[in-house]
Amino acid sequence: MVEGSPHAQKVPSDIAQIPIIWRYELLKYLRSRRLIASLAIAFVVIGLIYALPPLLGSEYSGSRTDQAISIERSPMGIPYQSIGTFNDTGVLPDTVKIFVNGIEVPRGSNTWVIAGVNGAPSLSRFFGTETIVLFVGNMSSSNVTSSYEWRVSAESFEGNFLGFANLLIVICATFFGADAIVGEYQNRTGYLMFPNPIKREALFFGKYSASMTAGIVVVGLFYGSIALLSLISAGGIDSNLGLSFAFALEYLLAIMAVAYFISTILKGTTGATVLTFFLFVMILPIIDQVLSISGVKPTGSVSFAAGVLQYITQNPYPVDASETFRRITLHTYYPDPTIAAITMLAYVVVAVVLSLVLFKRKELAG
Amino acid sequence: MIELQNLSKSFGPIKAVNNLNLDVPKGQTVGFLGPNGAGKTTTIKIMTNLITASGGKALLQGVDVVTHPKQALSSVGAVVETPEFYPYLTPVETLAYLGSIRGMHSDEIKQRSNDVLQEVKLEEWRNTRIGKFSKGMKQRLAIGQALLHEPEILILDEPTSGLDPRGMVEVREIIRSLKKQGYTIFMSSHLLGEVQEVCDSAALIDHGKLLVYDRIENLKGLSKVSKIEVISATEISQTIVSGIRGLSSIREVETVNGHTVVLTYDGSDEARADLLQAVQKLGVRVTSFSQVGLPLEMLYMDLVKESR
Repeated sequence: MVEGSPHAQKVPSDIAQIPIIWRYELLKYLRSRRLIASLAIAFVVIGLIYALPPLLGSEYSGSRTDQAISIERSPMGIPYQSIGTFNDTGVLPDTVKIFVNGIEVPRGSNTWVIAGVNGAPSLSRFFGTETIVLFVGNMSSSNVTSSYEWRVSAESFEGNFLGFANLLIVICATFFGADAIVGEYQNRTGYLMFPNPIKREALFFGKYSASMTAGIVVVGLFYGSIALLSLISAGGIDSNLGLSFAFALEYLLAIMAVAYFISTILKGTTGATVLTFFLFVMILPIIDQVLSISGVKPTGSVSFAAGVLQYITQNPYPVDASETFRRITLHTYYPDPTIAAITMLAYVVVAVVLSLVLFKRKELAG
Repeated sequence: MIELQNLSKSFGPIKAVNNLNLDVPKGQTVGFLGPNGAGKTTTIKIMTNLITASGGKALLQGVDVVTHPKQALSSVGAVVETPEFYPYLTPVETLAYLGSIRGMHSDEIKQRSNDVLQEVKLEEWRNTRIGKFSKGMKQRLAIGQALLHEPEILILDEPTSGLDPRGMVEVREIIRSLKKQGYTIFMSSHLLGEVQEVCDSAALIDHGKLLVYDRIENLKGLSKVSKIEVISATEISQTIVSGIRGLSSIREVETVNGHTVVLTYDGSDEARADLLQAVQKLGVRVTSFSQVGLPLEMLYMDLVKESR
C-alpha cells in the first residue's frame, strides 16, 4: 500500500547514483551502435593506413644489397679514422655486411664496427640515420658498399597512425557527448528522468563518465592496435606512445567537456552534433592557422594543444621555427607538452563548470 | 500532502502561475482544470522539478520541491505530458533503471515491475524495446513507472492526452483503481467529464490564478447557467423562438433544426421546471427536454468567461 512510501527514505546518495546513470548510458551507446560505429571507423582507418603503403610500394621492411656507404673522416679523439653512414633509416645492425672495393670484410675482423646513435638525438640528426659504421682505417679512397635488412622505425610507423588520433577523438566526442544533454530535452526523455529524486549533477557526471568510458574504449583500442602493429611491423613500440595515449585521453576529456557544454546551450541535437564536430575539425584549426600566420602562437587553443599527441613521439620533439621569404615570415609553431597539458585541463574545468551551471538552470519548458 | 503556497512563475512579462494556493489532502484525487495556457502544466512542471518557480513554495509531504527537489520527489510518482522513453530499453530495463535511481533493491524492482506491468497491462511487452511502442503503450508505461516505488503522491499531467478512446478508457480505469488503493492523485486535464468521473475535487485555474477549488458535487451546484435541448413534435416557428427569447431566465436560444432548439438559461432545477411549463405554454409540443453538457462544463465555461 501507499501508506508511508517504503522507498522514500532510501534514495541513494548523489555519488551512488552516478554509476547507475553510467551503466544505462553505456548501454545506450552499445545498443544504439554508436560505440560499434566509432570502433568500426577506427579499425577501417587503421586497416587503410596499415595496408595502403605496402600496396603502393612502400614496404615496412625489406633487404637491400650493394648500397653505397658515405664515408667521412671522423673527428679527432676517437680511435676510428672513418665514419660511414647509410643512405637509409631503419637499418638492422645485426644484418649489415660491409664490402670494400667489392670484397666482403667480415664482421669481427676488427676493421669496422656498427654503432647506434639512437640515444643521441643531435648525432642522429647530424648523420641522418640512427646507425653508423666506424672504420679503424681511413676508407676515404675506398669504394664502400653494404647489404643489410631494414625495418621502419617504431616512431615513423606510429606517426602514420597518430595523425588520425585527433580526428578519432573528435568523432568520439561527437558520438558520445554532443547530444548527451540536449537529447534529454529534445527527445523528451527529460520528462521521464527529471521528476525522479536525482540531482542534475549526478545525471551530468553519470552521463559524462559513460561518454568518457565509451571514448576511452575506442581510443584505447586504437592505441592498442597501433602498439600491436608497431610490434609486428617495426619490431618495437616507441617509448613515447604511452605518453601520446595519456595526452589523447586528456584531449578526449577536454573536448568531451566542450561537447557537453555545447549540448547544454543548444536546443537541438543536430545543431549540437554538427557544431561539436566542425568546431574541432574546422573552426578551431582555422583560427589556429590564422593566428600562426599572424605570428601569434595559439597556446590557448585546445586543437593546437592536441598536436602534442602526435609530436610527442617524434625524436627530437619539433621546435618552433620561422622562415622569411621576400618580407613574408612564415611561422611554424608546436605545442609545448606541459603548456598543452595545462591548456587541456583548463578546458575541462571551465567547460564542466559552465555545463553544470547551465544544465541546472536549463528548464524543460515548452 | 500537497501544498502550493503563493506559487508563481513568470516567463518574461507573462505570469504563467500567479500566487497560486492549493492544498490537496492525503488520499484525495484532485483534478486540475483550466484552458490552454492557464498554467496547469507550468504548475505541474514546478512540482516535478522540470522548471523552477519564480516565487512561493510547492510542498510535497511538507518538503519544498523548489529548494529540496531530491528529498521532495522521493515520495512522488509523476507523469508529465507524454514522456518519451529510451527506445533502446525494454519496460523491464526502464523500470530497473528508475528503481535503481530510487534505491530499490533488485528483488523489489523485479517484484514491483511484475505488479505494475500487470496493472498497466503491459506484461506481454515486458521484454520488447520501447522504441516499438505506440503512444498509448508509452502512456501506460509512464503510469507504470510512476507507480513502481509505491509513491504516496501521484502527479499526472493530462494522462489521457493524445490517446485513442480505448486508451483513454484504459488509463481512466487505472486511475480509478489507484484511487481505490488510496493514492493521493493530482491530475490536470482538459477533459471535464474525465475529472467529474474520476476525481473527488477539482481546482479551476485561468491566467495562473485559482478560480475555484471544491468537491465535485459542490462545484456542480455552483454552475449559474445550464443548457437544455428541447425537441418538439411539431415545427418550432420563429414566433415561438422569439417568445422563448423573451423569457426572463433565458440567455440564449440556438436553433438546431425546425424541431430542436438548445436553450441556455440561468438558474436551478426550480427554474428548469418553470422553463418547461413556459415553453409548453408558448405552443411547443415537447417530446424531449434534456440537459446538454456536464454541470462542471457549464461552471468551467462560466468561470473562464468571467476571468477573461
